[in-house]
Amino acid sequence: MTPAAIRIDDLAFRWRRSGPLCVRLQHLTLAAGCSLFLHGPSGAGKTTLLNLIGGVLLPERGSVELLGQPLGKLSAAGRDAFRADHLGFVFQQFNLIPYLSVRDNVLLPCRFSRRRAERAGDPAAEAARLLAALDLEPALAAVPAAELSVGQQQRVAAARALIGRPEIIIADEPTSALDASRQEAFIDLLLAEARAAGSAVVFVSHDQRLAGHFELTLELAEAEAAA
Amino acid sequence: MRALLRLALASAWNRRLSLGLTLVAVLMATTLLLSVDRVRQAARDGFAQSVSATDLVVGARTSPVQLVLYAIFHLGEATNTVSWQSYQTIAANPAIAWSVPLALGDSHRGYAVLGTTTDYFAHYRYADKRPLRFAEGQAFAQLFDAVIGAEVAERLGYKLGQPIALSHGDGGLPGLDHDDKPFTVVGILAPTGTPVDRTVHVGLPALQAIHLDWVGGAPIPGLTITPEQVSKFDLAPKTITAFLVGLHQRATVFRVQRDINAFRDEPLLAVLPGVTLDQLWQTVGVVERALQAVSWLVLAVGLAGLVAVMLAGLNERRREMAILRSVGAGPRHILFLLALESFAVSLLGALLGLALVTLLAATAADHLAPFGLAVLPLAPSTAEMQLLVAVLVCGLLVSLLPAWRAYRLSLADGLIPRL
Repeated sequence: MTPAAIRIDDLAFRWRRSGPLCVRLQHLTLAAGCSLFLHGPSGAGKTTLLNLIGGVLLPERGSVELLGQPLGKLSAAGRDAFRADHLGFVFQQFNLIPYLSVRDNVLLPCRFSRRRAERAGDPAAEAARLLAALDLEPALAAVPAAELSVGQQQRVAAARALIGRPEIIIADEPTSALDASRQEAFIDLLLAEARAAGSAVVFVSHDQRLAGHFELTLELAEAEAAA
Repeated sequence: MRALLRLALASAWNRRLSLGLTLVAVLMATTLLLSVDRVRQAARDGFAQSVSATDLVVGARTSPVQLVLYAIFHLGEATNTVSWQSYQTIAANPAIAWSVPLALGDSHRGYAVLGTTTDYFAHYRYADKRPLRFAEGQAFAQLFDAVIGAEVAERLGYKLGQPIALSHGDGGLPGLDHDDKPFTVVGILAPTGTPVDRTVHVGLPALQAIHLDWVGGAPIPGLTITPEQVSKFDLAPKTITAFLVGLHQRATVFRVQRDINAFRDEPLLAVLPGVTLDQLWQTVGVVERALQAVSWLVLAVGLAGLVAVMLAGLNERRREMAILRSVGAGPRHILFLLALESFAVSLLGALLGLALVTLLAATAADHLAPFGLAVLPLAPSTAEMQLLVAVLVCGLLVSLLPAWRAYRLSLADGLIPRL
């Protein structure tokens, strides 16, 4: 049986030892290939939770286990490598390195992770395929990322998260800068490609209306209120 | 690692204007530091070679520094003279290849007058054993002929044929001029960057001639001997101030020096000019160190500029660093990236500075001789290599500052910068 993509138990984190808890999550399991809508208003500790799942922060208590690997058992460098190999991120905005071309932005994970490069097959061809699948013209591949519209940038970011088929994709408010019709289209494209790649998706948003696209829903505010 | 290098390059290219200006600052600072060192070295060599190929400078017993000061630089006055008799005796030493007598004491409009023989123009060497060269005219032949140095000619605007009157002593007292026996400029020497440029050269007999009707440093009242009459007198010099000695074999220098210092007829002193010139240079070492301190300060300013630019740019690069972290870069990669960038700027600045100094040295070589500088070396010296290494170490140390700050920032920011 394949291990869960994400498994969180009794998680607690605070920035200062005496400060208030920023994140408290009793339990979360996300099976491989599933999609989760994580709902929480701003200030609910979403950012901190993403840093915990990304292995950038370590919890004060409890454990974060990705693909059966407890992150707490890895060194900092090991967590960095794990993140490169198995996680793809799409952020709210400013996802791209402005001075790199669209293609180089998409290929970035393949440069940091050999596994991602190998799973992509021919990374350049895979980048082109993903860009086309996400409705971006081939001519854009050589353009510096800074010249793209916000909507185009978010799709390039999605292509970067998807390349090399990482097991987990984390999207942090990726549609908040898009208008309503484009939000739907973006989510559909992202989920379709994630399904094709077999990736589990964690989609974080404050916008409850988007929850219908996902298999599971979790209220982060509730988790905190329970603390 | 290669991915990081490519990223660093692309990122630096993206900020090429501010980095380029920083590079120029480091380059200029390095150039200044190296050229100060090189000019210092050249000035020292030029000074030490005010007289070369001369094995000994001999005068009446005094301190070595004082002897060289008045015999070579014509500064100050000799406390005593050397008798012509002694000079002749010593010059006859078989170990001595040549000797040139020097008689000082008079001046012309502030420039020292040197009584000597035409051997002076044949044997005097400066810098890298370069002989004196006549820009115009030739050595003195007639009794009242004079040969002037390049600076004398230029400052006073003298051409060949110019009549000049010598003053007794340093010319400070009015009425003590030898204007009854004017000299004629028959030769002008090419510039040397040595005291020769500031000297009026005349024959020894001429000095004897203009003092015939003088006694005790003043004209004898009522006695005038016209220039036409002087040839009736014995113009053989009775005393000289000092003399230069060249040996057949350099190896005998200490033996000859000992012989002269132990000369029985009068107390004499023979010094090796190079050694004494080095001692003299030590006294101006303060200036050297001040120059060096200033150039180190300039380097500090350049590197401070580098750090300022890197630190100021960090805030705008926090997103960039967060993106890199999300695709798997660790904080240590960020540290490396930043340190690499600022170190590369200082490395490039140092190397370009070295290249610029070499270029300057190559193009400036012809223009430096009049300043008394020896030819600037093209290849960097060991001392310069040490300076370069010091620049690089400083560059590395200051590059750690923005790198450490970036490291802290990226640890705190994680995947999402809180801007």
